[in-house]
Amino acid sequence: MEYQKAAELNGLCKGKIVTEYLCRNGFSELTVDSKKVSVQHKTEASRKEAEDESRLPALEAAYTTILRGLGENTDRQGLLKTPLRAAKAMQFLTKGYHETIYDVLNDAIFDENHEELVIVKDIDMFSLCEHHLVPFFGKVHIGYLPSKKVVGLSKLARIVEIYSRRLQVQERLTKQIAMAISEALQPVGVAVVIEAAHMCMVMRGVQKMNSRTVTSAMLGVFREDPKAREEFLALTKGAQ
Amino acid sequence: MERSKQKQMNQNENETDAAINGHFDGRVKIPGWSAGGAAGNPSTAPSSSVMESWREERTRSLEDNEMSLPSIAAAYTTILRGLGEDPQRQGLLKTPWRAATAMQFFTKGYQEKIIDVLNDAIFDEDHDEMVIVKDIDMFSMCEHHLVPIFGRVHIGYLPNKRVLGLSKLARIVEIYSRRLQVQERLTKQIAVAITEALQPAGVGVVIEATHMCMVMRGVQKMNSKTVTSTMLGVFREDPKTRDEFLTLIRS
Repeated sequence: MEYQKAAELNGLCKGKIVTEYLCRNGFSELTVDSKKVSVQHKTEASRKEAEDESRLPALEAAYTTILRGLGENTDRQGLLKTPLRAAKAMQFLTKGYHETIYDVLNDAIFDENHEELVIVKDIDMFSLCEHHLVPFFGKVHIGYLPSKKVVGLSKLARIVEIYSRRLQVQERLTKQIAMAISEALQPVGVAVVIEAAHMCMVMRGVQKMNSRTVTSAMLGVFREDPKAREEFLALTKGAQ
Repeated sequence: MERSKQKQMNQNENETDAAINGHFDGRVKIPGWSAGGAAGNPSTAPSSSVMESWREERTRSLEDNEMSLPSIAAAYTTILRGLGEDPQRQGLLKTPWRAATAMQFFTKGYQEKIIDVLNDAIFDEDHDEMVIVKDIDMFSMCEHHLVPIFGRVHIGYLPNKRVLGLSKLARIVEIYSRRLQVQERLTKQIAVAITEALQPAGVGVVIEATHMCMVMRGVQKMNSKTVTSTMLGVFREDPKTRDEFLTLIRS
């Protein structure tokens, strides 16, 4: 199965470089090319937690430059330690680069004879827009139809955390979450819906306060069978 | 408190002035209102630097923006690398420039002065009942973490023969909020700006905001809101007026 190929490659992938990670008809295709640079897999665990401390001074200096460039007085009391705080905050907001799915999931996959829909909804999500470095946040609803294997429920939220605490694009985030669950569990189908507010649209630019962006990724039976999709959507619309 | 006494002094002085001169000329009539935009109140304010710092009108011009854009963009490229990202990938190619322009937009309050915004829209109106503009959406940047703050501002004032164009209240909020701010200081700056412009009988400002620095990081409390208020003049002295204001903004 293609899923398994993807999973294997994922496990061995740390040294290799993956170019495209397309998703057609519920299956994944991978091409490995040593010349090109990837988007998703190169950034898997591309930053070690231990290195964070050593990178702080450079980030601090960058933030000091930014504050001065904005016309602020970096010696005033409120701004004295701001470069350090902002650098640490930014590292926290991108801590998803530290972790891989396998670190988080490996222990919590159980064999369970359950073949009905499992949904975890209203997972709060906070991410950073990769185009403007401004937050976007919202809720993630995840549903999957297990095929003999279920995953610990909080692990779904952890998958969201890993992928959202990065510089992201909402479409890619949705797909990454769906693909991660597919690869880990090989379920009959996975559905992920994200509804988020983008500060880059609300605080600047068009300045539309109440606009929300909704993206979804439907894999497997959720893509093929409209009834399954309807059931998922009806159950997640419930108490919003 | 020292501050409210000063306000009362200012108001007493200006009441007579306003009666003599039908037209209000902000540059001349208000004692200590500095039209040049330098540190605010030479004659009547206490001279300690803590009091002065929040009154400072820093101005930045559009040319300054253009000149500093390259260095801010370079700083953002350093940040992207420091976070372990690849600044050459397609999605991030122009991000340093976009982020720098966005940050300049988020601090555009430094480019404007209150006087530019208010001068034309003060009208003599024989109205002495409370005027409230509520639910003004406010977006600011936390000066400690450079992360957004957003919420709502409710402003009420009791005019004393002079009213202000309603959108000007929202513009005052914009000027002060589009800066690196602390919510307490923002509330006070808005209240004092209205007081100095209109000399009303009283001003009340309430801000209710969510701080992303608390929600996205640190304690990570999703639903917490911070509420600050500044009550000046009769809003401070008379509990009934304050009650009326707070009830009306709640409904």
